[in-house]
Amino acid sequence: MIVDSAIPAAVRPPVSAVQQWWVLTVRMITPTLRNGELATQIVGSIVFTIGYYLPLKQMMGAVQPLSGYAQYLTPLIVLQAIWFAAISAAFRSATDSVQGINRRFRAMPIPALTPLASRMTASMYRCVVALIVSVACGYVIGFRFDNGVLGIVGFVVLVLLIGAALALIGDLIGIATQNPEATAPMMLIPQLTLGLASVGLQPVERFPEWIQGFVRNQPLSQWVYGLQALAGDSSGNAPEATFAVLGPGLAWVLGCIVVALALHTWVSRKRRSE
Amino acid sequence: MTLESPESLVSAPYRPGGRHRREKVWENSPKRLVPQVAVLTGRILRRWSRDPATLVQSLVMPAVFLVALDIVLGDVIEQVTGHSGLYGQVPLVALAGGMTGAIIGAVGIMREREAGLLSRFWVVPVHRAAGLLARLAADFVRIVVITLVVMVVGLALGFRFEQGILAAVVWVFMPALFGVALSAAVLTLALFSSSTIAPQATEIVIAILMFFSIGFVPLDQYPKWLQPFVEHQPVSTTIKAMKGLSLEGPIAQPVLLSVLWAAGIAAVCAVPLAIGFRKASKRG
Repeated sequence: MIVDSAIPAAVRPPVSAVQQWWVLTVRMITPTLRNGELATQIVGSIVFTIGYYLPLKQMMGAVQPLSGYAQYLTPLIVLQAIWFAAISAAFRSATDSVQGINRRFRAMPIPALTPLASRMTASMYRCVVALIVSVACGYVIGFRFDNGVLGIVGFVVLVLLIGAALALIGDLIGIATQNPEATAPMMLIPQLTLGLASVGLQPVERFPEWIQGFVRNQPLSQWVYGLQALAGDSSGNAPEATFAVLGPGLAWVLGCIVVALALHTWVSRKRRSE
Repeated sequence: MTLESPESLVSAPYRPGGRHRREKVWENSPKRLVPQVAVLTGRILRRWSRDPATLVQSLVMPAVFLVALDIVLGDVIEQVTGHSGLYGQVPLVALAGGMTGAIIGAVGIMREREAGLLSRFWVVPVHRAAGLLARLAADFVRIVVITLVVMVVGLALGFRFEQGILAAVVWVFMPALFGVALSAAVLTLALFSSSTIAPQATEIVIAILMFFSIGFVPLDQYPKWLQPFVEHQPVSTTIKAMKGLSLEGPIAQPVLLSVLWAAGIAAVCAVPLAIGFRKASKRG
């Protein structure tokens, strides 16, 4: 009789995509509490805040238009902090990719996008931590929100949007290189170059003429303009939070997300056929 | 490591039982140490030269960083001090490149510990100090190469040696002095910690040493209460010595202070480093 076959046929347990996403997210977040990742992220944000603020306050403070150098500098500090969070994301994505757990997930009854979704959720968690710590650091040195609740909400939303774009790029670099050690140097070069050559440290007029076009239009500068506008300033010299100021920054963010998603799809498809 | 060539085996005097064919040199003799360190150093350097990440970190990143630093802070510093900011920035970037490279060494030694390579070396007749000395020698070579790259970029931007050829030669080796001492400290940390905390903690220490040094902005730009730290920390003394060796200023005192810093760090690390390396080599 065929019905009495010796092959055991267990009933497939019910799977819930939401629960799978949650389990994979917790898997990424729990280690950060134990292995010192969270602690170093907090200490790192503090060090970079005072590291930019104390030495540059005198030289740069006199030439910027806002009420204080802290008000001018804090958007850049926030951006640097979420960039560091994205480097962690790249490191984790590369580790997962090289250790073969992504391949393993593909052999299990998990929706194709769940691993990526859980990695992105963990990245947003790092991003929120970076945002809270860096804004707290900013408050200590003298940064204040001066544009009402709407300004604060806009500030947070823009930072998280940029954070998502950077985390997606980091994830892409991790999955494309499959080399955990390579991720940090690959992302640090643009961070340092764009960070120094941006309007976050000093106004664009202070740069040599030939490089001003690049400095003004590169993504980090446009994001700094947007965040400065949303944070506002007591002196009234902050840029207005209009579409003309916020538009280019938003275009950069959305452009980054679209390009990164397209490349991500392409790389994942290549990995799948391996 | 140092295998005799077939000819020397053939020409060795015949002794019954096959003993004593090898040259009678004690396993831990200095005569073995030097060629073994050379072989192991070559191994590490060859690995680095074939790893794109290490090459980018060591050669491209310092160059890009120096150009960015000069564009942003160059004019301001020249207005404040009257001479080009490059005389502080070139040493700062060379030191930063050398110091961040210590992380690559730390990750490397942790990986070789996990893979069992260290234990493998421990059971072959290699001088006990060769593994560690080779790591430090490789770091020395790496930092000198980084310094030369940064120097060439600096020369293109307008950096010049005003103190003659001898001072220039000493200048090239100054970052390696502190860099190797720091590498020893980072290696010690890596050997005693099992997680990824070592590289991250190192990054924070490097950031502090870099931001609060006289190479970033001149000393009088820092708040009064911070100036004693900024003036006497090892990166600043090294930069001051290098400024004296390239542009003008005191040489003897900052060089002496830098040597003292390096010797101090080496003295503190030596014993824990040796113990940690022995422990890591006997694992598994």
